[in-house]
Amino acid sequence: MAAMFNRELKKGSAELLVLSFLEVRPRHGYEIGKLIETHSKKRIQFRIGSLYPILFRLEQKGLISGRWVEKPGERRRRYYRITSEGRRVLSRQRTAWEEFVSTINQLLSTKHA
Amino acid sequence: MPDWLRYVRDHLSLSDCPPAREAEIVEELADQLEDAYQEALRLGLSDEDAFRAAGQHVSDWAKLADDLRRAGFLRPQRGPEDHFSVLNGKQPAFSVGINRHPVRADKGNIGATASAIASNARHDMHYALRILAKNPGFGLMAVLTLAIGIGANTAIFSFVNSVLFRPLPYPNADRLAIILSGQGNANRAPVSTFELFNIREQTREFDQIAGIWVTDAALPGEGDAEQVKRGVITSNFLPLLCAKPELGRFFRAEDEDRQQDGKHTRAIIISHGLWGRRFGSDPGIIGRSVRIGGGSAVVIGVLPANFRLIFPNDASVPSNVEYFDTIPIDASEPRGPGFLHLIGRLRRGSNLARAQEEANAIATRLRSLDSEIALANFRIYVFSLHADDVREIRTTLLLLFGGVAFVLLIACANVAHLLMARAMRRVRETTIRAALGASRGRLVCQLLTESFLLGLFGGVMALGIGWAAVRAILAARPPSLANFGDVHLDVRVFAFTFAVAVCTSLLFGLAPAISVRRLNLTRGLKDVSRQVGSRRYHWPSFLVSAEVALAFALLLGTGLLMRTFINILHADPGFRADDVSTFRITVPSYQTLKQLQKNLSAVPGVKSVSAVSHLPLDDTGNWYDYYWKEGASADQQNTVMADHRSTLPGYFSAVGATVLKGRDFNESDDASHQHVAIVDDVLARELWPDETAIGRKLNISDSPAGAYQFQRDWAVVVGVVRHVQCHSLTASVRPQIYVPYQIAPRPSMSFVIRAIGGIPELGAIVRRQVALVNKDLAVTHLEPLSAVVVRAQAESRFASVLATLLSAIALLLACVGIYGVLSYSVAQRTGEIGVRMAIGAGRPQVVKMILTDGLSPVLVGLTAGFTVSLFVAHLLTRLLFGVNPGDPANYALILVILILVSMLAAFLPARRAMKVDPLTALRCE
Repeated sequence: MAAMFNRELKKGSAELLVLSFLEVRPRHGYEIGKLIETHSKKRIQFRIGSLYPILFRLEQKGLISGRWVEKPGERRRRYYRITSEGRRVLSRQRTAWEEFVSTINQLLSTKHA
Repeated sequence: MPDWLRYVRDHLSLSDCPPAREAEIVEELADQLEDAYQEALRLGLSDEDAFRAAGQHVSDWAKLADDLRRAGFLRPQRGPEDHFSVLNGKQPAFSVGINRHPVRADKGNIGATASAIASNARHDMHYALRILAKNPGFGLMAVLTLAIGIGANTAIFSFVNSVLFRPLPYPNADRLAIILSGQGNANRAPVSTFELFNIREQTREFDQIAGIWVTDAALPGEGDAEQVKRGVITSNFLPLLCAKPELGRFFRAEDEDRQQDGKHTRAIIISHGLWGRRFGSDPGIIGRSVRIGGGSAVVIGVLPANFRLIFPNDASVPSNVEYFDTIPIDASEPRGPGFLHLIGRLRRGSNLARAQEEANAIATRLRSLDSEIALANFRIYVFSLHADDVREIRTTLLLLFGGVAFVLLIACANVAHLLMARAMRRVRETTIRAALGASRGRLVCQLLTESFLLGLFGGVMALGIGWAAVRAILAARPPSLANFGDVHLDVRVFAFTFAVAVCTSLLFGLAPAISVRRLNLTRGLKDVSRQVGSRRYHWPSFLVSAEVALAFALLLGTGLLMRTFINILHADPGFRADDVSTFRITVPSYQTLKQLQKNLSAVPGVKSVSAVSHLPLDDTGNWYDYYWKEGASADQQNTVMADHRSTLPGYFSAVGATVLKGRDFNESDDASHQHVAIVDDVLARELWPDETAIGRKLNISDSPAGAYQFQRDWAVVVGVVRHVQCHSLTASVRPQIYVPYQIAPRPSMSFVIRAIGGIPELGAIVRRQVALVNKDLAVTHLEPLSAVVVRAQAESRFASVLATLLSAIALLLACVGIYGVLSYSVAQRTGEIGVRMAIGAGRPQVVKMILTDGLSPVLVGLTAGFTVSLFVAHLLTRLLFGVNPGDPANYALILVILILVSMLAAFLPARRAMKVDPLTALRCE
């Protein structure tokens, strides 16, 4: 089984991941968690107890918005979509992350005394 | 199917959330749990297992509630800029292991500010604990080093606090003063009743002046006869020092006269100890007549259990006085001897300076009363009672306090070095954190929190070490400290320890914190490894220099104190204490004394027996008076004083003093023959420097009419003996005059028994012989004379043992410090060493390089230490005996010790450097 990333790394990137999974279309909470798990080949997993506060926080900040959707024959569920501000933030955050990862990679490729 | 709504409601407590919002949260969580449950069922789990698997999605409901609360379900929504505002600046918003979003408070919201600070502090504390737990060896080393440093300070501060800071346990203690007189060459003399009467009459600055004189008295009774300390006091003495008696009353002015008129029975007030020991704490003791001090007396009061007398050591007023009676203040006899030790209570609003001014004026008036009386050089001195009580021990305590401060500074230097070395190792981590958005302020706070935690743990451990050290020191404390009652860790000591822990943690935490302030982020990110490896820092050298300098000063102080103590151990006191036993009795008559001397002399193994009024180095109330030689002009009389001692024949051989010229006393040296005296060589040299003293006439004080009925008398010098140290082993206070007991009887005498080797059961033999002569005679102070000498060495032993201990700790810490710095330096320079060796440097050259690098700051430290030591030596002068503080030998010895220790500390790292494999080292580079 693939090794899990440590908690701190996961925590530092969670909001970025959530925003990126909402970029294409609205999703409900459990679905976002499952997508992250699947796409990361189970190396990043979020339990409901961890993911829900992140959604809650992003919504409070206005980066995503949630709304209850009722479909015939189904219980009502809360779907989240990314706001325009969320998109701007996601774009900036993505760039910053890439720069960070590249810097870290550069550092890690150097042998230090 | 599980009822997830109910499940969530049962587990999640959001009492402070608006109900509508809470309902939404509960519903959404229930929905997600249902999803999880359904998925588990799809994977083939049983109902029960699927329920459990879904439930595991939220393991900590309280944390979830807290996370939601912090995410702000109570606050209005904020704009997106608030959240990712860091992205608008230059710093990215990611964080690893440090609080990325330090909680910020809205302006004007004090509660939120406090909460923000508390949250940051909690986070920093948590992180610091984790860091310490990751490297327990480092933490333990730092905490232990600090605990030793702070603990030593706590222990010595406990004494400083109890002795110097805590007020004396008397009412209005800050207004109490001791009043001493200066007469002739004596500057701390007691006063006569005539002088007390006049001072009382004329003072406006004191509202009370009282006097005490302590002597011995026999306490016959049902059990063993006992000799106790009797305080002869003025009637206003006890109310000055004690709020109220435990039982009965204090003396009144009319009691003073009643004591003398012969019609009334003497009234006495007894100590709590005597009341319990001799009278079984009888509540009906008041008004009871008891046999005491050669007569009977009525007990009118019992003192409280915590009452004790605290007088300067040289006042001959011990703390354990067992009963008090009063004397009238006689205004009529200006020639009366000075024997009263005075204390006074300043009027409210007055002060010591005004009281001294007034005392000078009173002394001038007394001097002008009569040119013939013994007031020619009369002076009066007023000191604060507390300040005078502690004047002997103050220097010792403050110097020790300085010593422990040095130890603490060395400990701080070591911990600072540990932290700096670690901070350098953590440069990469710190740089990345800064890059991830941690502000420098937050990083500094984090580092200071780490050092604060170390200081706090060190402080807690220091309290334990301090407590143990206080117990140990109490066991060895000298008499000058013994009067001050309990020494313990009180609130002030706790506050002191905490303050020291906080201050020191800031002190040693400052260096790593400053290094963070100087962090170059851009260069740090690009070039982390080189920053660690190549940059040379000056702080290790500085710390080593500081440690060596402090250790130098401490070692010099210790060396001087140790040599003083050795000199004191070998000091010739003028007598030989070995094989001598002593005891004290109250003397009913000369015949009893003679009979006892005869009987004890007959005991097998006893070589010689005699008696003296004042044993050398003992605490019996001193007897000293003026002397002058025949032919001295009027202005030469009443100017210089000598200690007077009453003796039986044979005293000098029994005590082991050396008779230099002439003879000892004999049986015919009594009042009916020519009065004779024996003087010491100091007095003989002073009065007759170029001629023999034998046969010369000397005006002395004696009392042929009975004890304390002093008169001036001419005596012929029949012998000269070597000076005997009477007051301390080191200071020669006054010369000595010995007079035969028959012309100067004293109420109590100390027997001196010199035996050939030890006599088993000597105590029992002495008691039996004394009882045979007079069964009411109490035997006290039965002990070897060597015990008296050991007591006299106590203060010097105390100072030198403690100083040695401190120096040992300091030396060890400095050694560890130098070792640490050099080890670090070798580790840092491994690559460089490899390069040097690769291009041809030999191992000896590498070792030389490391030693030169390591020992250069030691040399700087030695130079600085030498300078500091000159000052320390100057401070120590008062405590030294037979040692020249500027003796180059001391400095040379310490230089050698410190260089050897430094080389020892440098040896292991140098050896490690020698073993560096060039290939490995180059690979590292």
